Amino acid sequence: MADVALQSGVTSVTEQVDRARVLQRLRLSDAAFRHLTRSAAILVLIILGGIIVSLVHGSWPALRTFGFSFLYTEVWNPVTEQFGAISPIYGTVVTSVIAMLIAVPVGLFIALFLTELCPMWLRRPIGIAIELLAGIPSIIYGIWGLFVFAPFLQQYVQPFLISVFGNLPGLSTLFAGPPYGIGVLTAGLILAIMVLPFITSISRDVFEAVPPVLKEAAYGLGCTTWEVARYVVLPFTRVGVIGGVMLGLGRALGETMAVTFVIGNAHRISGSILAPGTTISATIANEFTEAVGDLYTSSLIALGLILFVITFIVLAFARLMLMRLNARLGK
Amino acid sequence: MNSVASFTVPTVSHTQKSSDGLAEKVSVRTLDFFYGDNRALKNVNVSLFKGHVTAFIGPSGCGKSTLLRILNRMYDLYPNQRATGEVLLDGENILQPGQDINLLRAKVGMVFQKPTPFPMTIYENIAFGIRLYEKLPKSELDGRVQHALQRAALWNEVKDKLGANGLSLSGGQQQRLCIARTVAVRPEVILFDEPCSALDPISTAKIEELIDELKEDYTIAIVTHNMQQAARVSDFTAFMYLGELIEYGETTKIFTTPNDRRTQDYITGRFG
Repeated sequence: MADVALQSGVTSVTEQVDRARVLQRLRLSDAAFRHLTRSAAILVLIILGGIIVSLVHGSWPALRTFGFSFLYTEVWNPVTEQFGAISPIYGTVVTSVIAMLIAVPVGLFIALFLTELCPMWLRRPIGIAIELLAGIPSIIYGIWGLFVFAPFLQQYVQPFLISVFGNLPGLSTLFAGPPYGIGVLTAGLILAIMVLPFITSISRDVFEAVPPVLKEAAYGLGCTTWEVARYVVLPFTRVGVIGGVMLGLGRALGETMAVTFVIGNAHRISGSILAPGTTISATIANEFTEAVGDLYTSSLIALGLILFVITFIVLAFARLMLMRLNARLGK
Repeated sequence: MNSVASFTVPTVSHTQKSSDGLAEKVSVRTLDFFYGDNRALKNVNVSLFKGHVTAFIGPSGCGKSTLLRILNRMYDLYPNQRATGEVLLDGENILQPGQDINLLRAKVGMVFQKPTPFPMTIYENIAFGIRLYEKLPKSELDGRVQHALQRAALWNEVKDKLGANGLSLSGGQQQRLCIARTVAVRPEVILFDEPCSALDPISTAKIEELIDELKEDYTIAIVTHNMQQAARVSDFTAFMYLGELIEYGETTKIFTTPNDRRTQDYITGRFG
């Protein structure tokens, strides 16, 4: 564009010719830019489609052999080549639920504290600590979970849980059995620690984006900090908060390494959350090297397909929840 | 600072009525305000009278909004902001550390420059404030919501869509919704911080009409950049400049025969 400005003093004929040439060049670069962005977007679709196709193709032998019973069979026997996915599905869902039950409230409270209540000098240290927590590789969570956290749970926390809840009807099955240390609960707790920074930092960012005058208006009515957070900040930021929660849930569902270390890798469903179990990603990580038969490999790929579908369902559910929230808020 | 001497209104204590029937609701005495080390208000003395509108005018940055934000202690939300001196509401100093801030803000409502509807339905926007203080049965709450919307001259426009989101209204309607919300918690004082600066002339006229109606029951303070507006809606006017209250008196007096040269220069548009 600088050329155009420089030549504006020259005679009008050459100016017009030059301008046409510049415009032509701009049109070309604009078209190139448009095609570049479009192909980048299409690339996503191609990759996603490729993954789906290869997952379905790879899991086809297992699905053909076992049919729908693959989804609800508990047996996982490589020797007899009997495979069923229900226990890893169960483990994946339950560990993620435990993780979200802990991480969502704690994460939101940290974010609210950081944005609404925390004195300035403390904001940075806590904020940085959260980001560091997010940066720790999952293998470190794994060995820390196995060598430090699980023994700690086994010695102190789990006996306490068993003695408190063990005799309560309803909860007794949930906390039954000996304290193994490793198990579904331990995996859920580790996952909670791992997804906490995601939920916290995203919530903090969206809470900070609430216009100060909106909060002042609520305080101006005489609201307490809790009331401002509950009725103004959270509804105003619902899209971002749910986005953060879903990102955390996505990580919890798919997390492999840390979970494999602490869950016990047992292909069975137990009513007790203290018992060992397994998740989809832990099963795949543990067994793909020793999967010799075609059916074995195919069953593992089918597990991957199921995890993919679960993630999809979770995302769809999040959309639905958001739509219902919007309807209730009158929009 | 000789300007403070130019009060045309006698200073009366809060319970007494002066000879011309003025009851002092809010009394600001020797007020200083600091943003960190920056002194934003210098020895301000001013009174708000019950049933009257007091306008604060002056160029940007003169401390009008700052003064308003002290009256409901909104500045408390931010660190490094502090006020010294006295602000008496019915004779009680609200700057005292023991003051219940939520209660104060229920008594001293505020309407902001930009409309600030909460992210909820029109009905809930009003009911929300009421519920903070009173547990009412649904029918009574409905009545209070309707009354507040009527007070804010909004009822006829929204009565068929109370379930719509507050943000779906136009700017002028949103501002009246905010006024209704403020009125609904039954305050004693209402502070307007440039309530019309984001609105079109018709909406502005409606809000001004509304302020005129509301002053019967409330003590009103309004900050405005629009001098015609100050002249139209207020009974008393305070002119502020660089953190000082230059001149304060009856609006007709300030706008026709101001005592101070700076007031005259400002209202005639020579600076500001």
